[in-house]
Amino acid sequence: MLEIKDLHAAVDGKEILKGLTLSVGAGEVHAIMGPNGSGKSTLSYVLAGRAGYEITGGSVRYKGEDLAALSADQRAAKGVFLAMQYPVEIPGVTTLTFLKTALNAQRRARGEADIDAVGVLRLVRAKAASLRVSEEMLKRALNVGFSGGEKKRLEILQMSLFEPSLAILDETDSGLDIDALKLVAGGVNALRSPERAMLVITHYQRLLDYIVPDRVHVLSGGRIIKEGGKELALELEAKGYAQIVKDAA
Amino acid sequence: MNALPHRKLEDWKYSDLRNAVDADAVASAPTAAWSVASADGAVEIGDLPTITPRGPHGAMAEMAIAKAKAGPYLRVAKGDAGAVHLHLTEGGHGRAVVLVEEGASLTLQETVLAGEFANIAIELVIGRNAQVTHIRTAPHRDAVQVADYAVRVAEGGVYRAHFADFGGKLSRTELHIALEGAGASAHLSGVSVLDGAHADVTTHVTHAVPGTQSTQLFKYVAGGHARGVYQGRVSVAVGADGSDSRQTAKGLLLGDRAEIDLKPELEILADDVKCAHGAAVGDLDTDSLFYLASRGIPESEARALLMRAFLGDAVDQIADEGLRGNVWQAVEKALEGLT
Repeated sequence: MLEIKDLHAAVDGKEILKGLTLSVGAGEVHAIMGPNGSGKSTLSYVLAGRAGYEITGGSVRYKGEDLAALSADQRAAKGVFLAMQYPVEIPGVTTLTFLKTALNAQRRARGEADIDAVGVLRLVRAKAASLRVSEEMLKRALNVGFSGGEKKRLEILQMSLFEPSLAILDETDSGLDIDALKLVAGGVNALRSPERAMLVITHYQRLLDYIVPDRVHVLSGGRIIKEGGKELALELEAKGYAQIVKDAA
Repeated sequence: MNALPHRKLEDWKYSDLRNAVDADAVASAPTAAWSVASADGAVEIGDLPTITPRGPHGAMAEMAIAKAKAGPYLRVAKGDAGAVHLHLTEGGHGRAVVLVEEGASLTLQETVLAGEFANIAIELVIGRNAQVTHIRTAPHRDAVQVADYAVRVAEGGVYRAHFADFGGKLSRTELHIALEGAGASAHLSGVSVLDGAHADVTTHVTHAVPGTQSTQLFKYVAGGHARGVYQGRVSVAVGADGSDSRQTAKGLLLGDRAEIDLKPELEILADDVKCAHGAAVGDLDTDSLFYLASRGIPESEARALLMRAFLGDAVDQIADEGLRGNVWQAVEKALEGLT
């Protein structure tokens, strides 16, 4: 599903990713763990296609296609989804209008017909209840005045609505208390499927108690320095990043 | 008086009329023509009698009043007159007077679609507890148009106005509003979507007596070589204690060649007055654009969505659904050209 080879990427001319190699197959959930400044968010933005995050070397292939050749919206239409660490507040656009616009933009890009407002509302309602996204939230301006938990739940609602092939979750656990974390993790787990790959980016092991990964990669200094099974997360928690980085050196 | 205002005058700094139009052409411009349509019989429509304007007005209005030989006169003596459509059919110097008497109400729908030059002066007199809703839509045209409104509001009277201006070679809208009776209020809003065009809204609201209220909300989107201007002066007169005024003007600049000048001003000579003003100019937010793109929304669509959201609260000041829909339609069309 996702093949990253010797990826180098720069932000404002500064190289952040320095030869990252990673492969995620369909049906797999991989965790990327790393200390602050290791390049976690840069990786998620590079994959989603944010302007200013420039690939300077190596390659990223998604379903065999060169991801760098696609704009951010084209990637989304082809099934790449990034659940953001800091979902953006957009005053003046209601959440429901946003969901309808995004869903239909993706459908149009794939040559599918638009879904009307009633149809979108029906789809959203079917998915919103289990994530405790209320009708009232759908009527409010997108993310404006939402709590941290509400924002993250809305990200996962989008993920379930867009049904991506590759979902990247960037620090989805940040700012969540334990109840909110369980709710969000439950939403993510419900979306695990043999056709879908997930990349869970996190600083803390805590999230991985609830979203159990198939593989864990440790990112440091812009490269993967250690890989292992789900037990690697526990080792990291016990030893701390400094020790793992030192061991790997 | 044939001299035209120019950019060395503080009030005309951003709208150089002398440079935009030939002074001789202005001097010899004919009397403008209007059509007036009313669905209801409650409004008396006639030719302008000789009325000496008493409301404050600007220099160009002075010229319009002097040169216009005729013009419509609307009077609502009582009750709700419903909507009256005032349409400028031929350019030139124009003058109109609208009188809404005690307790009466009127929706004035004003459109402009004529001539290369228009200089119009409209006087609105709003009586005790009377209400006027005024919606003006000026489509984009390669023309010079000056419109001056002298509005007087008596005790308990309400003036609500919305100006949708898509600009021209030079477009100047002046509002001189006098809140003359206790409880009188004026609520002004407007949007300008400019693709290389010029639009200037200059307001002067005077709170002459205590307990008067005014709100203003103007939004500008400027692309290409466009120039959007808002100059808003609020004066609270001596003794007009307890007056309440809010002024907001915001601009969205698309590209380096566009310019938006926002100049809110307050002059307070009374006590216990609540006055707030704010102005801000910015670009479309890159975080928002990326967020929308990452959800599959193509850039042009994302930009249009953000621009609509930016203009939304100003357009939504129009309470009437039909009139609001008309303005949205004009806004959508103008945005298409910009994205």
